[in-house]
Amino acid sequence: MSWVTAKRLFCLIVLVAVTLWAMHITVPDATEQTPLESSRLRDVLAPMQKGLTWLSRQAHFVVSLPVSMYRAAERNQALEQEVASLKSQLARQNEYIMENRRLAALLAYKQVMEQEYNLMTASVIARDPGNWFATVKINRGSRDGVKENMTVLSPEGLVGRVVSVSPSNCEVLLISDPRSGVGSLVQETRTPGIVEGTLGGSGMARMIHIPKNSLLEEGQIVVTSGLGSVFPKGIPVGTLGSVRDEPTGLFQSAEVKPFANLDKLEEVFIIVNVLPGAGSSPEGG
Amino acid sequence: MPFLVLLLLLAGAIILQTTVLDYVDVLGIKPDLIMLIVVLNGFLLGTREGAFLGYAAGILEDLFAGGFIGLNALSKMAAGYLAGMAGLRLFRENTLVATGVVFLSTFAGNSVYYILLNMVGIKVPPFYAFFRVIIPVAVYTSLLTPLFFRRIFRFVQLRDRDI
Repeated sequence: MSWVTAKRLFCLIVLVAVTLWAMHITVPDATEQTPLESSRLRDVLAPMQKGLTWLSRQAHFVVSLPVSMYRAAERNQALEQEVASLKSQLARQNEYIMENRRLAALLAYKQVMEQEYNLMTASVIARDPGNWFATVKINRGSRDGVKENMTVLSPEGLVGRVVSVSPSNCEVLLISDPRSGVGSLVQETRTPGIVEGTLGGSGMARMIHIPKNSLLEEGQIVVTSGLGSVFPKGIPVGTLGSVRDEPTGLFQSAEVKPFANLDKLEEVFIIVNVLPGAGSSPEGG
Repeated sequence: MPFLVLLLLLAGAIILQTTVLDYVDVLGIKPDLIMLIVVLNGFLLGTREGAFLGYAAGILEDLFAGGFIGLNALSKMAAGYLAGMAGLRLFRENTLVATGVVFLSTFAGNSVYYILLNMVGIKVPPFYAFFRVIIPVAVYTSLLTPLFFRRIFRFVQLRDRDI
C-alpha cells in the first residue's frame, strides 16, 4: 500500500466516522444530549439565527418579488375572471330561484282560482312609453282566445282589463291608469265606490264617490263589487290609504294602494271565463 | 338622410322607453328619452326643426302607444319649439345651458300634455300631475342631458357640413 492510498483510506474512514457520529446525534429519540446541545451555545446562537433567517426571508422576498408579483397579477386576473363568471352564474341562479318562486306562487294561485275561473297565464312584454298612462302589452292575443274587457289578475290582486287585442298580443289597461274605473266596495263595511287610477307612474289609485256617512279606516281592504263594471265580484284590489272629503261635499274619496305591484309586473293571469257557481255573474253587470 | 337617421333614433328610443327604461325608474318615474332628443334637436337647429321633429316624434309615440293620437305630438311640438326659441337666444355649446333648457322645455311640454289631458276629459289632480309626473320627469330627463348632448351636438355639426 502506497503512502497516498493510505492517506485516502484514512480520509474515507474519518468521513465515514463523522457521518456515523452525525447520524447518531440526529436520531430523534436519542436519550443523551450531544455536547453542542447541552451547552449554552444554542441559546447564544438563537437570536443570530433568528436574525439571519429573517434576513434571508426578506432577501428571498425582494429577489422573488417581481416574479411573484407577475404571478400574482396573472393569478389576480384569472381570479377576477373567475369571480365575474361566478357572479354572473350566481345572478342567473338567483333569477331562476326568483322565477321559480313566482311560478310556484302562480301555480298555487291558479289551482285555487281554477275552481272559480278559467285562467290563462301571460307575460308582460312592454309598457306604455310615457309616465301618464299605465298600460302593458302581454303576449296573448285573439289567437289564444283573448277578448276585450277580460279581467287581468296577478296572485296579489287585480291588475286591470284587456282594452285592445291583436292576433298575438293584447293591451291591458292597469287600474292605476287615469282612464280606468273599477266598481268596488270596502270589504268590511260593504261601502261601495269606484276605484279610478291617478297616474300611470305612481302605481296608485283612489276610491271615489264613497257615501259621506260611511266610516272608513286606513288599511281596510277593497274588493271588486261586480257591479257596473266588467270585473267579476270579490277580486282583491288594494288597501285604503288616507280618506278625504270630495270638493262637492256629498262624497268622500280615499287613496287605494293596489295589492298588485303594478310597476313591476312580469307574469299575469287573464280570466278567460267565470265558471258557473263562482258566486258572481260572468261579466259582473 | 339625416332626418331618416333621426327617425330611426327615435324609433330606437321608443322601444327603449317601453322596455328597458322601466328598470331605471325612480319612484315610478322614467326619463323621457324621446323628449330629450326632440328638445336637444330643437335647441341646436331652431324653432322650425324643433317643432317639426317634436310633432313627428310625438305622432310616432302616439301611434306606438295606441292612446290618444296627438297628445304627445302637440306637447312635444311645443317643447321642441320652445327649445328652438331658447337656442336662438342662448349659448348653444354649453352642456349646462342645454341641461337647463331640457328641464324647462320638458316641464313646458308635460304641462301642455296635462292641459290636453284635461281637454279630453281625463282629470288628474294637479298635485299628482305636477309633483308626481311633470317636475320629476323634467328633473330626471334633464339629468340625462350631459350623456347625450355632446353626441347630438357633433351629429348636428356633421350634418351641417354635409349640407
